[in-house]
Order: sequence, then C-alpha cells, then structure tokens
Amino acid sequence: MSIELRTLEISDEVNLIDRLLAEQRQLTAVERFARRHEEGSVPAQARYYQDLIPLSKPAPGQQYAFAVDLDACTGCKACVSACHSLNGLEEHETWRDVGLLVGERNEAPYLQTVTTACHHCADPACLEGCPVMAYEKDADTGIVRHLDDQCIGCQYCTLKCPYGVPKYSERLGIVRKCDMCHDRLAVGEAPACVQACPHEAITIRLVDVAEVSAAATPGSEMVPGAFDSSYTKPTTIYTSRKPRPTSAHPADAHKLHLEHAHWPLLIMLILSQAAVGLFVAMTVTGLVSPDQFRVAGLPLAASAFALLNAGLFAAVFHLGRPLGAWRFFLGLRTSWMSREILAFSLMATVAAPTVGAAFLFPGSPLTLGLAALTSALGLISVFTSAMIYIDTRRAFWSPLHSFSRFLGATFLLGATAAAMIIGSADLFLPADLSAAVRSAAIVATVIRTVLFGWETSRFLLSLHDVAAPSHLSALTIRRLLPWLVPTRIALFAASTLFSLLAIFDFAQLPLAWAGIAFVTTFLSQFLERYTFFTAVRAPHMPGGIA
Amino acid sequence: MKFPPLKIPATPAELIPPIRAWTGPLTEELIRRPGNFGLGQVPASVTPDATTTMVCGFCSTGCGLNIHLKDGQAVNLSADTTYPVNLGMACPKGWEALAPLSAPDRGTTPLVRRKRGGPLEPCDWESAMVLFCEELKAIKAKHGPESVAFLSTGQITTEEMAFLGCLYKFGMGFIHCDSNTRQCMATAHVAYKQSFGFDAPPFTYADFEESDVLVFVGANPCIAHPIMWQRVMRNRHNPKVLVVDPRATETAMAATDHFAIRPKSDLVLLYGLANILIASGWIDREFIAAHTTGFEEFAEFVTKFTTDRVCAETGLTAEALWSFAQTIADGKRVSFWWTMGVNQGHESTRTAQAIINLALMTGNIGRPGTGANSITGQCNAMGSRLFANITSLLGAHDVTNPADRAKIATILGIDESAIPQQPSMAYDQIVQGIADGKIKGLWVIATNSSHSWIHQSEFNAILEKLEFLVVQDLYPTTETAQRADLYLPAAGWGEKEGTLINSERRIGLIKKVRKAPGQALSDFAICQLVAHYWGCAEQFARWTSPEAVFQLLKQVSRDQPNDITGIADYHQIDESGGIQWPLSLSTLDSQPSTPPERRLFADGQFFTPDGRARFLFDEPRAMPEPLDDAYPFLLLTGRGTSSQWHTNTRTGKSDVLRKLYPAKCYVEIHPDDARRLGIAPNRPVRLASRRASITANAFVTPTVRPGQIFVPMHYAEVNQLTFPAFDPHSRQPSYKACAVNISPLT
Repeated sequence: MSIELRTLEISDEVNLIDRLLAEQRQLTAVERFARRHEEGSVPAQARYYQDLIPLSKPAPGQQYAFAVDLDACTGCKACVSACHSLNGLEEHETWRDVGLLVGERNEAPYLQTVTTACHHCADPACLEGCPVMAYEKDADTGIVRHLDDQCIGCQYCTLKCPYGVPKYSERLGIVRKCDMCHDRLAVGEAPACVQACPHEAITIRLVDVAEVSAAATPGSEMVPGAFDSSYTKPTTIYTSRKPRPTSAHPADAHKLHLEHAHWPLLIMLILSQAAVGLFVAMTVTGLVSPDQFRVAGLPLAASAFALLNAGLFAAVFHLGRPLGAWRFFLGLRTSWMSREILAFSLMATVAAPTVGAAFLFPGSPLTLGLAALTSALGLISVFTSAMIYIDTRRAFWSPLHSFSRFLGATFLLGATAAAMIIGSADLFLPADLSAAVRSAAIVATVIRTVLFGWETSRFLLSLHDVAAPSHLSALTIRRLLPWLVPTRIALFAASTLFSLLAIFDFAQLPLAWAGIAFVTTFLSQFLERYTFFTAVRAPHMPGGIA
Repeated sequence: MKFPPLKIPATPAELIPPIRAWTGPLTEELIRRPGNFGLGQVPASVTPDATTTMVCGFCSTGCGLNIHLKDGQAVNLSADTTYPVNLGMACPKGWEALAPLSAPDRGTTPLVRRKRGGPLEPCDWESAMVLFCEELKAIKAKHGPESVAFLSTGQITTEEMAFLGCLYKFGMGFIHCDSNTRQCMATAHVAYKQSFGFDAPPFTYADFEESDVLVFVGANPCIAHPIMWQRVMRNRHNPKVLVVDPRATETAMAATDHFAIRPKSDLVLLYGLANILIASGWIDREFIAAHTTGFEEFAEFVTKFTTDRVCAETGLTAEALWSFAQTIADGKRVSFWWTMGVNQGHESTRTAQAIINLALMTGNIGRPGTGANSITGQCNAMGSRLFANITSLLGAHDVTNPADRAKIATILGIDESAIPQQPSMAYDQIVQGIADGKIKGLWVIATNSSHSWIHQSEFNAILEKLEFLVVQDLYPTTETAQRADLYLPAAGWGEKEGTLINSERRIGLIKKVRKAPGQALSDFAICQLVAHYWGCAEQFARWTSPEAVFQLLKQVSRDQPNDITGIADYHQIDESGGIQWPLSLSTLDSQPSTPPERRLFADGQFFTPDGRARFLFDEPRAMPEPLDDAYPFLLLTGRGTSSQWHTNTRTGKSDVLRKLYPAKCYVEIHPDDARRLGIAPNRPVRLASRRASITANAFVTPTVRPGQIFVPMHYAEVNQLTFPAFDPHSRQPSYKACAVNISPLT
C-alpha cells in the first residue's frame, strides 16, 4: 500500500483544527476550579505525621535518627519519589532507595523490602574523608549535612560511605545527599519520606549517640548485607516484630558490575608512582655507583619531575570544582585525601630543587641528599595514596592488596623506567652506562616476577574460594573483563622477555629492549590500576533485583 | 570540571573567600521555602502560586493528587491530604505523574507512513483526517461495516470513551470494537453482571479498614495498589489477612496467613471452602433464603470438593484448608478481594463468582467491612465498563431492548436506526478477524497491543495483513505505533478535562494543568475532528465539551443502577473529593447529604429482575496448556514493581521510576530448580515456550515454588511466550499459566 496525502479543497475545516489546537493550549484548571484552602499555612499533612516525629528537639547527647518499621515497609517506594519531588532533586537524582532481602525464615520464604537513605552516622565516614570539611555533623540535631558550596567534587566521600549515600552530579560538579529535611524538622514538619509513607513505616526518633556507638560493635549490621556498623555507627533503626530470617541476602548480592574507572585518579596514581620510583632509582644509583649517578642523575630527576607534575595535573581533572581545592588543609586531621595532597605538595616542592641540583651540581652529596629526601617524601606520598583506598574498608582495597599494588608499581615502574632512561642517556652522554641499565633491568625483572606471581595467586585464590573477601571482585574480572587476564599475561611475558634481552645486551640495543620493557610494563600496570578501580565491590545497602 | 562564573568583587573583603562556604549558588538550588496552600515547605524553584486537586491517571485506585501550579501550569505535585481515597498518600507513579508528559519522544504532529517499511513522516491534521476518513470509508465500502475495528483503553476519560464508542458505532457505522479492559476487568464485569444483575463492585475503600478478616485472592496490593494496602494498614481491628497466591509476594509476606496453592487451583480451593462452610453450618441461612437463588444446587455441587480432593489439587494441607474456612466462619466482617490472579484465567468468571458465592453464603455483603470485591486495574476501567458503548449500549444498557435504544437515541438526539444491534466481537475475536482477513482496518487508541496482547508474536505478524492501521497515543514510539500507517498525537492526562471512575465507583476529575506539546490533541478533540471529517458532526452537535458530554451521560444513567443524575457538575465532583455512583436525584431528595464513602446492597436488594443474587458455578477445567517433559515449568506473569505500569509506555519515561525497577527482563526461579539446572544467580537464561524463546536474567529466590517460574509482564518479550487461552464468559486472556522450559545461557 502506498499513501498519498491531500487536503480537502474547499473547506473551513482548518478553522476547526485551529480552534481545537488553540483550546488544547488553554490551561483552565485555575480559572475553572478555585482552591478551597488557599490560605493554608499550617501544613495539611501534619495531621498524619505529627505523631511520627519527636515532640522535642534532641537533648545534649541525643540526635535525630530515621527509624524504619520493616513490618510496615512493603515495597511501594513512595518514599523515593516523594523525596525526589518535595526536595527538588534532579530528574535522575534520588536520596532514598528501596532494596530487597530474600531468603528463608523458619523454612518459609522470606521477602523484605528495605527503605534506606543517609544514616546520619554517629561517626560519619564521609565527613572523616572529606578534604575540605564540606560535611558538618550538626551539633544540635546530629544531622550530617553536606555544604554544597564547599564541596570540590573530589568524590572521596562516595568511596568512604559504606552505604552508597553521597551521589555525584556531573552537572553541578559536586556531590549531594539526604539532609533529613533539616529545615522541615526545624519548624516541626516531617521529612518528605516520613510525610509520604502510606504505611507510616518511616519515623524520626531521638537516639542517644553514646548508645548508638556502643551498640555498633564489630560484626553488627543494620540489616543483612549492610556494612559493619562499627565503621561509621549509623543511627537508623530497623525494627521488626517478626522472627529474624534464618538466611537472607540482598537481591543484588550476585550482581556484577564495573565501578567507575576514575581516569584522572588512575593516571595520577600511575604517573606519580613511576615518578617516586625514579627518584628512588636515582637515590639508589647515587648510593651504589657515584660515577654513573653523576651522569644519569639529571635525566632521572628531570623525567621523574615531569612525570610527577603530569600526574598531579591529571588529578586536577578529577575535581568537579578545582578552584576550592586550596581548602585541602581543613581535612588534615582526619582525611587521607588531605594528607595525600600535602605529601605530594611537599614532594613536588623538594623535587624541583633536586632537579636543579642534579643540573648544577651533578653527583654532589647535595644532589644525592635532595634525591633521598624527595624519595622519602615520595614514598610517604605513595603511602598516603594507598591509605586513601584502604581507609574506605573495601575488601578489594585491603591494606595488603593496596600496599602491594602501589609499592609494587612504584618500584617496578621506577626500575623499568630507570633502565630505559639510563639506556637513552647512554646513547647521548659520554659515559658507559650499560652496567646501570643491566642492573635496573635485573631489579625490574625480579620485582615484576614476584609481583606477578603474587597477584596471580591472589586472583586465583579469590576466584575459586567463594568465601574469600574479594571473591566477587575476582568474578567481576573474570566475567566482565574477560580479556584482562590474558592481556596482562601477554604483557608480563613480553616485558620479561625484553628485560632479559636488555640484561643480556642482545644485539647491543639496550635502549630498544629497555624501552619496550618499560612500555609493556607501564601498560600492564595501567590495566592493573584500571582493575583496581573497576572491579572493586562498593558496599551499599541491599539493592533491588538486578 | 566546573568553574564558577568570573565575578568582579565589589569590595576587597569579597576577594577573600570564606574558609567554609555555608551558602552560595549550589546551596540555593536545594533551598526549601514555605509553599503555602497547606503544603508545608516545598522546593523554592517550584513554589506554587495556586494548587488544584485532580485524580491520578495510572491505576484504578483513583488517588487525589494536589497539583502545584505556577502561572496555571503544573510545576510539581503532592498527594492530596483530604481526598477520601488516598488520605494524603500516593505511590511512586502518582508522585511522578507529570514526568511522562515532558518526555522527549512525545508525539507533536500526526505522522504518516507513506509506504510499508518506510519511516513515519510528519503531516498536518487536515491531511491526517482526510486520509483517516478516506481509508476507513474505502474499506467499509469494499468490505462492509464489519471490516474495521478499534482497540481502545481504560486510560482515557469517560467522556472520551463515550464519544469514541458513539462516534464509531452511531456516526461512522461500524460494529466491532473492544478495549484493553478486556485484558484486565472483563471477568469482574461479567461475574458481577451475572451474579448481581449489574456490573456493580459493591465496596468502598473504608471496607479495608472495617474488616476483621480480609481474603486476597490473586492480588498483590502491596505493590500493585499500595494505597489500597495503606487502607488495610489503617485497619484498627487487628484483622486476619489471608492471601491466596502461588508466590510469596510482598502481600503474602505481610499477611497473617499465606496459602501458596498450585497455580490455577483457585476454583477448586474456593469450592472446597464452600463445601466446608456449608457442611459445618458456618453460613447465613437467613440471608441466603431472603436474597439469593441457586444455593441448593450450589450446595449439592460443592459436595464433590472433599477435603482430600481439594488438598490433592491445591497442594494445601487439610489443616490449612480447615483453618482457612474456620477463619472465614469466625469473622464478623469478612471481605474478599481479587485482582488479576483471578481475572486473567481460563475459568476466571466462575472463579470470581466462587468468591462472590462465599460472600453471599456467609452473609458478608452490604455491611461495613464485607463484600466480594474486585480491585480494578486501570484508572478508568470502570468508566469503560459503563460508558464505552462497546459490549453494552451506552450506560450499561441492553442493545437488544427497544426501550433502551429509544432512550439513548432520544438523549443523544440521533436516529434510533443509527444504533447497530449486532454485538461487537471481543478483543481476541477481532485479532482472529484480522488473521482471517475479515478485518482490514484497525484504530488503536491509548493501548499498546503489540506489547500486551497474549501470544504477541502472532499478533504482530498478523498486523501486516491490515490495510490500514491507525494508532492514537501520547508517543509514536510504542511498539504498536511503530507499526502504524497513521499516527495521531494525543494529549495526555493533565492536558485535558474529564472524569475517571475508580474501583470503588468514585467519579473523579482530571484537569488541564499542562499544555500538550506541539499539535497533540485530546482524544476528545480528535473525536470531534473525526466526526467533522467523517461528515457526521451534526449527530454530535451536543458533544461540545467534556462537561457537556458528562451532562449527557447523567441523563443516560437515569434509572440505571449507576444513576448519577444527582451529581450537578464538575464543580461538585471537585468540591466533594469525587462522588461514588449511584447518586440519583431521587436519593438526593430523601438524603440530601451523602457520606463520602458508600457501599452497595445494604438492603440485600440486588439488580437482578427478582432482586436476588445468583449462585453460579461450573466444573473446574484443567489448565489449557499442560506441562510435559519438554516444557516442564509453569510460567506465571504479573506485576513487577509499584513503579511499573503495564507496558511501561509512561512509567518508562520517568528517570525516578526507571531507577525503581530492573532495566532488563528477569525470571524468578526456585533455588532447587536453579541448582538442578545449573543456573547461577544473576546469570542469563533462556526461556522457551511452544511459541517462542527469550532470554532473561535469573533471580534465584525461594518465593516461587519449585516447578514454577515468574516473569513480570512489563517486559515486551514476555508475551511472546504466553499461551492464548480465554475465559469462555468474559473472553479475558489467561496470562498467568503456560508451559515453558528454562536453561542456562553460557
């Protein structure tokens, strides 16, 4: 069939269409239907919620807390959308969520929906991790508030919070989160979720902060699948009059997905660790072989300095609003992010004169001393970098895992880069540096082999032991990044091969072999760091069916 | 990375930024201010300058939503505090009701597909209407009045339904039409009509609060009708809540007792309960004698449903069965509620009537907290059942009755001969008509058959046989619109006026609080256009506005059980928080102030000619598609979450609602079955029926029984699997039982 369009030749039909289109665009609700209680300033909903919020303000030592009656929470999710609408959030932004627990109770099926928002913790991890004090635990109410204009968008709180509460907005370049409708509570109104729950499942209660802290013993969790309460001491109270389930797990417990790669952070970590490694290599050269140090010192220092600054520059791109980053010192007391910024700032400050000394006073004790100082500050910086992730208490980012990765990358990249840089210096400078190239390549090969063996065995153990803390991360790598392990094996083989060629001076092309060894090692470490970020399991409250 | 705009400081002090920025433009974004109008604090960016109440346009609960207006335009909404239905609460769909109106894929002009296989291209209304009329007139001229059909909806206003049905039958002279209410409410309609003499759900939502025993059969109100569950939770009588459902649903978890019967054994269970109640003398003989007929035959019939048989067929223990009966017997105010688990079955009408029989024999009807109560699906399924002019003559009249025809012709001012006496084919018969090449033209209004019709792949294949397919919808992107020859852009809820009728017979108002995008027109205005271009506008001279039609419908309802002559106008509906039918002028005279919640049959008088309710029953029949070795699993379908509505045409447009349901199709399977078949949690599986195979993610959960699996109906692929079986009385499809197999996808 084919259709030809035509209109009637003589008609006033267009007038009818125009009239109907014009009528369609007239909004008539206001003019036709007057509102009865136009003057109402007392909230009409108060009749329903007045018993759901405390009559009095928190006394000293108390704070507001959400309380959820699980027997009344049956999964309508009205709280999520009411919070969204009554707080003017962005279209896709939600401060509440409703998850699902499934399992068994007394041999019968068990199903429980769980409404969750910010837990306004007694010991908030978001606040602790924030480098610029963009969080405030209100002294009077205990509400954990986020200062939107203070936030620099570093998103560290999104890693620190074990409940997935703060959410980053690309549009605004900051995170935002539930503020328990603090201004509503201040005037005796209930928070949006409390107002909107058809079953009165959500209420606000006064809790004794000391009691919350005391109850949050290691191993305690608010609901099955929630993070260990001893970390942040969440205040939300989940209650049920029914027997506890004999088995229950979140509906999304088996869901595998890739977390954000955080590219600027990834680049910063890799480049800064390579830089620190190079300063260490420079120092070691100075200690072991003063002759070669005299010649190779400047190229090593200059390369390290360039890598360091490139890395720190990349880090700026991670910030949603970098202009506020000068406030980083505010978080020094609690935040490893602040400490990292300080450590790298100090390192960079000393790194510049180190390069200068290597240029002006090659091979001098001053140069060596400055290189040693830079290395020390660099290692401290790498330590703070690792602590940023360790402090999130994510299983995949355990101290063993993070330190071994970060220090391993530092020394491995330092050694392979040093081999390449000394190799290139060997070509252009009037000195024989081949011994240094060989030594660096040997060190690199040893570190690489140990690191690879260690990583591989850890991965295989986690993959095959369902009880291993990092099992799901290993499964994520296997299922969602199936190309990763083969690629890293290939890169390991290639970099080892070319390191060996450099060591045995095959065809007298040390720079070529060391160069290829460095590039393949760098790629391998880059992939390792990509995995570090993407395969981590971010703890969160029970989610829905995935 | 965001950098604030460069600002030149006015004073040197401004050069020094604060150590901690407590205020600023970002903080301002989330400021809340007193909203007035009794709202409490609202986001400052959407502070209203007026508010107005209208009913929600998703489900049949019919909640009142308080629309926040700014310059006459809706900017936000909240649940209406005083509306008698929802008492200040709403489900997430209600909260997000405005979002789908702003979807980027709204239709803004008519679209035409000049060649099958080609794209839909914009055209103007004039061309669209000329094409529409010429094509349908040509088909009619060539193949007769039975060669065209429409498939309509329970989602548009009563006035629009009435206009569409009258225009189509009386003006355009066609016969066959049906509505998607066939997929959800046809069973309740037929069951009530046969048992009570009229399609009259007897209850009011207050009954949820008044019962001491509530029995839910095939209903999951916790997520399907959360606001009705709200009313259950407000019940202060510490009620027993009994849930009959093969799955451990949210409602089953919240119940005091859950009876996880084998799928499609509900009729046997209900007859078995009747047998125990009668044999034990736990019945209201006085009520039965005074107000019913057919009890003795029924009592005789159910003796076959012995405890042994019922337990064997339902899988319940004798103890559970007897405790069920005992609880009903002990209850002072027992209410029975059913939804799609009953309505969508191959013997659904008799199942619904088996529930009605239990209420009748125990005298649990007409009193507070009682009733055999069908919870409706769509926001205006009830309007469709009364006024769509599809299966019955406008206003639930009998087209074979000359007096009824004369009444309607007089009120509408049309020639009586314009009223066709031939009954319309039902949905499945229309589909068969297309397959058989008898129906050549199809007009689809506000429904998404290509997604929702049972045995979907066959349905979509036969659409190709049509000479002309018109789809009228908010979105040209629905599965059905994507197959249309002509697409007509419709204005939606919130962009037009009219009334909707909810589950408890409450007539509620919707209002115009948003401008429809582009050239989208209300279904009412489209009917006006069609009447004009078809050349029958004179017949519809009285149909000038929705409210004018409401006045016509009032006259139509006179002396019917659903008499609404006592309702003055839209203003009265608005001021009363909706008005339940009936409200006749005569009752108004005797009882000038009507309570906001009313129920039917308080006097024991039913709408049958003799005023007595009927006991109706039939021998149970086996599930039409039996399980076998090749297809050993029974596939259940149903609602997934509270944030999904039917084919997700609208709920899929809200970011918030989308976040609240799984993006991809999933299948619930018992851990024992999963283990046996090597299906790992959250891994893809292949599901196959005799008709098609699809893939889905496995959700391993003990809430489904071994041998059964469950897939939510909202994912388009699901109805490729379902088996086209229909209840013989209501012709409602049996969506909830077909044979499938399941295997892991590696």
